[in-house]
Amino acid sequence: MLKLKLLLATSLAATTLTMTAQADDPVKVGIVAPLSGPFSDYGQQFRQAIDAYQAQHGKSVGGHSVEFIYKDNGGPDPGRTRSVAQELIVQEQVDYLGGFVFTPNALAVAPLINKAKTPAVIFNAATSAITQQSDYFVRTSYTTPQVSVPVAVYAKEEGIDKVVTLVTDYGPGIDAEQAFAKQFEKDGGEILRSVRMPMNTTDFGPFVQGAKSEAPDAIYVFLPGGPPTYGFVKAYADNGLMEEGIRFLGTAETQELDLQTLGSSALGLHTGFHYSQAHDSPENQAFLDSLHSLYPDAIANWASVGAYDGAHVIYKMIEATGGEKKPEAAVDAVKGLSWISPRGPMMIDSDYRSPIQNVYMRKVVKGESGELVNKEFKVYEEQPDYGRFEE
Amino acid sequence: MFESKVVASNAVKRHVKVPLLPEICILVAGVVCFYIFPSNLGFLTEIVVMALFVLSLDLLLGYTGIATLGQAAMFGAGAYCAGLFAMYVHPDPLIGLLVAGIIGAGIALVSGSFMLRTHGLSFIILTIAVAELLFAAANQAQDITGGDNGLYGFAVAPLFGIFEFDFYGRTGFFYSLSILALAFLLMRQLVRSPFGLAAKGLREDQERMRALGYPVYRHLMIIYAIAGSMAGVAGGLSAQTVQVVGLQSLSFTLSAEALVMLILGGTGRLYGALIGTVIFMVVHHMAAALDPSTWMLFIGLLLVTTVLFLPKGLMQLFDIFMAWIKVGRRSE
Repeated sequence: MLKLKLLLATSLAATTLTMTAQADDPVKVGIVAPLSGPFSDYGQQFRQAIDAYQAQHGKSVGGHSVEFIYKDNGGPDPGRTRSVAQELIVQEQVDYLGGFVFTPNALAVAPLINKAKTPAVIFNAATSAITQQSDYFVRTSYTTPQVSVPVAVYAKEEGIDKVVTLVTDYGPGIDAEQAFAKQFEKDGGEILRSVRMPMNTTDFGPFVQGAKSEAPDAIYVFLPGGPPTYGFVKAYADNGLMEEGIRFLGTAETQELDLQTLGSSALGLHTGFHYSQAHDSPENQAFLDSLHSLYPDAIANWASVGAYDGAHVIYKMIEATGGEKKPEAAVDAVKGLSWISPRGPMMIDSDYRSPIQNVYMRKVVKGESGELVNKEFKVYEEQPDYGRFEE
Repeated sequence: MFESKVVASNAVKRHVKVPLLPEICILVAGVVCFYIFPSNLGFLTEIVVMALFVLSLDLLLGYTGIATLGQAAMFGAGAYCAGLFAMYVHPDPLIGLLVAGIIGAGIALVSGSFMLRTHGLSFIILTIAVAELLFAAANQAQDITGGDNGLYGFAVAPLFGIFEFDFYGRTGFFYSLSILALAFLLMRQLVRSPFGLAAKGLREDQERMRALGYPVYRHLMIIYAIAGSMAGVAGGLSAQTVQVVGLQSLSFTLSAEALVMLILGGTGRLYGALIGTVIFMVVHHMAAALDPSTWMLFIGLLLVTTVLFLPKGLMQLFDIFMAWIKVGRRSE
């Protein structure tokens, strides 16, 4: 037993030694993301986007090469995330962290980065409260209220007065429901019913029929990606809500990884979100060209752009500090930073270190080669994180 | 006469018992790991906490023959309670751990009171159901548990008022390790006691034990509660060392993974629980470091190989080794 441990120990020590000997002192960035299991799509999107960024902007900044080290944390697992992040900080000596798909995972590293003074860039986790847990957090994704509120504003502008909300019964779903309802009721709209659907629902027919019987002008929906979204969209189409004029309003439901699978039943769905692969701008085109030159089959979604802009923010921090470990200066350098991202113009809020960005209303239509795209038709400019006003 | 005395004293020497030897081994192994992997203490703590959890499962499955897939119910309840206790009542870690243990035992008693009247498959289904109910409750009670976002923002006071839970996780590691050693000691006493032997009897044949006039139901309840409190303590340790409690602490995946670790190591052996956990988590960790996206293959191969060639778990290797030594000695 002990011998076995010693053997493991020596072999592990040997590999780490050779690894440290090879590198010529680059700035190291640790990426914590699910790379295996059911959530590994996120890790893949992150990695591809970071590679695309490095292909475009070089693997070094200000004469310092930047090395990204990936660590798998599986899924929502704070304990694992904490130990993985600790290893990155203590053993790999990373100066920056990035990644973080799930809120509890991001929260678990807050005490670590507070003590180690390591800036951590959140590529995805979308709960408003996260960045308040540490001054070293910077977010490049979005927050759920940030994209839900503009959808409510849009609904009222379109003359929609009565809405049934249907959300998956977990943290983000409830955040979305509340953010939407608050804005919609403030504008004089009426929420007929708020339905919370259990997490493992596979048959959405009863929920959709129930909503239909209330005869609303629209339904507002929040679902986690993948199979639940397929099931819901199918139920929406099968029960003929669109024909009756009950519109579908959502946020990330028509995200690019799921969109082609949704098929023609997704045509005409309205969503409000901060990134569409079909966003028409030279910056987005350059990003997609770079991405496709490396990974011809890659699809860009919000996770990709979160990581791409995350890499940008990390490069800016390294540039501002000359590659040295000056965490406060690094975070200060990106507070209020604004640039043109593939998603459009964006800025890091200097108080909340979360993005201020455009939220686009999109409609699913057929693209040039017959594939489905999220076509943007209306912009709500410079939307803040509406969730930050709470609490 | 003289000769026989010498032989006798030799025999005594050979069987001289070092008190607390296994516990000392655990502590020494822990200290060795501490010095070899000073920067992996988070991971080592994870292993220690998991080992304690798997040990609690071993008491049920290995010693009493109670197969459960819902042991995470007690782990998660302990974790949430330790977190909430630190947040609202008192930040002391040891009191928090005690509360976690009591809650674990409480949940086990309440759920066991009806579940233990069933056997086999229906029991397993019920254990899953109870864990799922708690999972759903924790997800619903967002205001208390934080739901999907996790419970966070509680601080744990220094251990004994001296040792602060530091960034490197030194305190957390030795704290967890000591608790594991203590639990191991208690377990060893327990399984050797008449009470523990009766548990083994229950594993072999409950009907016969009942025919012998043994209070089977009461005995099962007590064991279920003891295992529950251990799982609760493991959950409490996890909450205190990670400082965030997520819904996954109540998940089916956790129960199932613990079961896999136990079977890998060997059920019905206290060391089996420890070795299974260590091997599973180390292989997982190293394979994931080598190739973050396909490491599951290694784990799968390891499990298949073990189940095929060592049906009694990795402890069987140890048995084979010991038998081999004995044969060697005899031939001398």
